Amino acid sequence: MPGSGTGTGNVPMAVKSTLDIVRQRFKEDEIVHYIFEAYQIQGQEYLDRLLALVSSESGGTYAIIAFSYLRTPLTTANELIINKVFALNESFQLRQDGKGSITTMQFDLSTAEDRPIKYYYYPLKSQEYEEFVAKVISCKNSMYKCDPEAVLNFSWLNDYRQIGEVKQELKKREAEYIVYKDIIIYCATWNVNNKPCCDSNSPLRSWLACSEKSPDIYAIGIQELDTPTKAMLNSTQMQATVEQWTQKMVESLYPGVEYEVLRSVRLVGIMLIVIVRKQLRQHILRCQLNSVARGVLNTLGNKGGVAISLQLHEGNICFVNSHLAAHMGYVDERNKDYNAIVEGMRFDDRRTISDHDHIFWLGDLNYRIQEPPGQQRPGPLTDAQTYELLLQYDQLGQEMRKGRCFDGYTEGEIKFRPTYKYDPGTDNYDSSEKQRAPAYCDRVLWKGTRIEQLAYDSIMEIRQSDHKPVYAIFRAKIKKRDEIKYKKVQEEVLKAVDKRENDNQPQITVETVSIDFGRVRFNEPSMQDFNVYNNCPLPVDFRFKEKDMHDICEKYLQVDPRQDSLMIDSARSIRIKLLVDVRTVGNLLKKIRTSDNFDILILHVENGRDIFITVTGDYQPSCFGLSMETMCRTNRPLSEYTQEQIKHLMRDESPEYQVTMPREFFLLIDYLHRQGSNLEGCFNAHDSRYSLGGHFNAVRDWLDTWSNEEFPGNVQTAAQALMLLLELPEQSLLEPFVEDLLASSSKSKAMDYIALLSAPKRNVFMHLCMFLREGILCQYYDLQQVALIFGRILLRGSSSSSRMDYNSRCIQFMRFFIDSDISDSALGNGHASGSGNIQAKSSTSATFSSSQSR
Amino acid sequence: MARGFDHLFKLLIIGDSGVGKSSLLIRFSDDTFSGSYITTIGVDFKIRTVVIDGLRVKLQIWDTAGQERFRTITSTYYRGTHGVIIVYDVTNGDSFANVRRWLEEIQNNCDVVNKVLVGNKNDDPDRKVVITEDAQRFARQMDIELYETSAKDNINVEDMFLSITRQVLNHKLRTASNEQQKDTINLKHQKNKRSKKCCS
Repeated sequence: MPGSGTGTGNVPMAVKSTLDIVRQRFKEDEIVHYIFEAYQIQGQEYLDRLLALVSSESGGTYAIIAFSYLRTPLTTANELIINKVFALNESFQLRQDGKGSITTMQFDLSTAEDRPIKYYYYPLKSQEYEEFVAKVISCKNSMYKCDPEAVLNFSWLNDYRQIGEVKQELKKREAEYIVYKDIIIYCATWNVNNKPCCDSNSPLRSWLACSEKSPDIYAIGIQELDTPTKAMLNSTQMQATVEQWTQKMVESLYPGVEYEVLRSVRLVGIMLIVIVRKQLRQHILRCQLNSVARGVLNTLGNKGGVAISLQLHEGNICFVNSHLAAHMGYVDERNKDYNAIVEGMRFDDRRTISDHDHIFWLGDLNYRIQEPPGQQRPGPLTDAQTYELLLQYDQLGQEMRKGRCFDGYTEGEIKFRPTYKYDPGTDNYDSSEKQRAPAYCDRVLWKGTRIEQLAYDSIMEIRQSDHKPVYAIFRAKIKKRDEIKYKKVQEEVLKAVDKRENDNQPQITVETVSIDFGRVRFNEPSMQDFNVYNNCPLPVDFRFKEKDMHDICEKYLQVDPRQDSLMIDSARSIRIKLLVDVRTVGNLLKKIRTSDNFDILILHVENGRDIFITVTGDYQPSCFGLSMETMCRTNRPLSEYTQEQIKHLMRDESPEYQVTMPREFFLLIDYLHRQGSNLEGCFNAHDSRYSLGGHFNAVRDWLDTWSNEEFPGNVQTAAQALMLLLELPEQSLLEPFVEDLLASSSKSKAMDYIALLSAPKRNVFMHLCMFLREGILCQYYDLQQVALIFGRILLRGSSSSSRMDYNSRCIQFMRFFIDSDISDSALGNGHASGSGNIQAKSSTSATFSSSQSR
Repeated sequence: MARGFDHLFKLLIIGDSGVGKSSLLIRFSDDTFSGSYITTIGVDFKIRTVVIDGLRVKLQIWDTAGQERFRTITSTYYRGTHGVIIVYDVTNGDSFANVRRWLEEIQNNCDVVNKVLVGNKNDDPDRKVVITEDAQRFARQMDIELYETSAKDNINVEDMFLSITRQVLNHKLRTASNEQQKDTINLKHQKNKRSKKCCS
């Protein structure tokens, strides 16, 4: 628990440090007045919070910023994570109300923008709590009492507010860019009583063109569309009926305005069509429709509802046309139908009817007028007083008041005669035997914000149905973006979201980006350690990245660990081991030839940057791994060469040489030659040459210094060294003719290729063969065995090395040159082998002071 | 749109060491500039979302080490790049001369890529050695758009990034509309087509 508060003074050091750390989190002109330690409870967890009372000099305002922190005690400001920001604006409240709770040591912070958030504090902090509250109150008062008219600027807090998704953020700041546009919406509904459309002689204009101003959107609902049983089965006929009606409606709209049918939807006889002003079409960003079938078995769809959902600018509008259960006594069924439509209507984007800003519900809702028995119907049902009287008994009004249907909907005042039930062709109420009571079956209701009804009426002079058509005109203020303001807000939001992403990018720092191994020698391991730190406010995963399908590093290097995780403010040591040995010397020499460094490691931070770590060193050249040509370009012991000098020699491709044969090779052959019978069996254990002990380094130095001392090993180590000299160079000794030589059937043919080898290679080969032949003649070692061992070394790298007969071909080739029984006579071509002999002999006798070979 | 953008593009900034690649990126992503020079030893990236024609385009911009010794490694970062920003320093003739090499790097490591050439540090006429006309002529030859910028004085930086973004976006929209036809054309074919277009 970090010390906190400014008033206690018991542990001044700790207090000071926490406050100082919190101060670092703010800008220069922002002052931290007080910090108070509280906590929140989430489920079982107690979450520590640090509340900082801060003011901005430039803004002239105060705020409380609640931090969570990653650990106690705090060590850096990075560990403070902003949890909540409360502006001390007019609506800000700090309330203490611990009634009925486990502790009274709790309080709520809230502003108009945010719901109250509960904080708790520890009993030990009671005194500090009093101070905190006093400070907060005096700060708030100081702002509002000095100058009640002053416009207070809290914009500095935007830097500390949590930024969510772009979309949420834009929604939150809607007020800054939303303007409202007036839209005239014309809703119309008519139960056409299965009468065909063409019957209508009079156009529907008296129903659909009643507005003073031209409507922007029409939503026209029809019930009991002409759907005889036959028509239901015949979609073409049905289609024709729908088209006739649509055509008729379009003809009857407000004159002089171009309209376009947006969508229409039909469920059996219930049809809804939305028609929009042509210029408005491009601003309709979304349009979906659906229907809910009710009626017989609740599925047939002779009753039910259809709906069209659309987005105009930023406003979501929904139109519903429903035909609910009929008959006086079926109020509950109507309510059920209503609820089923509300529950069941889902648009493609999972939006429900209530997920709209503006909802218009029209249709034959079928609610009747239930007059008490014996009630006298007053007069001819034509004046406003009568309507008022009747509406007292309107089932829809009654049910709505009871909260059983159309919750939240509004209906305009009804100043027209009941729309049902007329004798078709007349304005007379039902004169049939049934004598149905007149009722307001046909209604238009709305729900949502910024809707104003301009008109609500029925049309008496349309007489073909037993219902009269009804229309309602609305003015709705639709949300619309001010594009310039929106652009600005969007840019700010994107910037903030981007900034958060950039700031939260995992970061690590490395102690060094260049690892220098200093002097590096063949067969001597060394290592270097370096540290990586995580000083960003998140845990970080890192790993060394593979480079272009290969390993993370060159073969002569080992990295440990190759990957790891770093907690906040923690460090990890990484060890790099380097060993240039039999297996890896070729790789290092190749690297030295082509590059200035030993390797570049890529340290990859997960979801973050890559850091390049360059590994360098100063390699002490040694004979092992160098090509015969390179060695023949030297004129002094390799120990006297630098890495840079050997790099140049390796790159040199001219046929100019200092000596005919590498001195190191000659020294080994010479030593072995002098051992006579000690050589017995020395070329047996060829596998052991891959694991060199430390004692081998004496042999290495002996060779690399052209030492005059006694050879520091025995026959075995010399034989081992000899084989390594032949085996370690990148190219095998007999390249580029390995394949040709393996395929040569006679010594003379093989000799033709040998003659084409570079002089150093050719000389080494001939000299080696002569030496081996002598040993075989003296029976120091077995012909077959030596032929196989050296054949495989000299002819390595062949594409046929995995073939069954590779070994026998190697032996056959070597025997051309080391089997004295067959080399001259049995295989013929004595002159060829003879010339080889002469060549080899001349090499043996060649002095190493000779400045040039051919 | 839960992800908050319509398109995501990867841009790469290349060019000699010290020409101001990181400064251009920081200017564009954070709108800040620091006079102190810190060599980029590795590959860094920042993101920024811009709005083009009402579409949110999220850019992931990779800033590479310019030093010669890292060239083989940085070339592996070209993969998957939609646009490359080649930067030289108008006060450093060598950095301009090396643009040709950087263009070759792109040629060797990317399939189809949109490019922009940027002469940075264009804020002190006295120190300028790469004159606009020469750079312009070269850019025309190579069929690349040229921008002379100053990350320090915030000149042309925004325009330059928006230009390459628009180029990438147009390319993507064009490619998407031609998709069926392109299905049959193999990669090699595409490369040939592109190089021809560059030379013309």
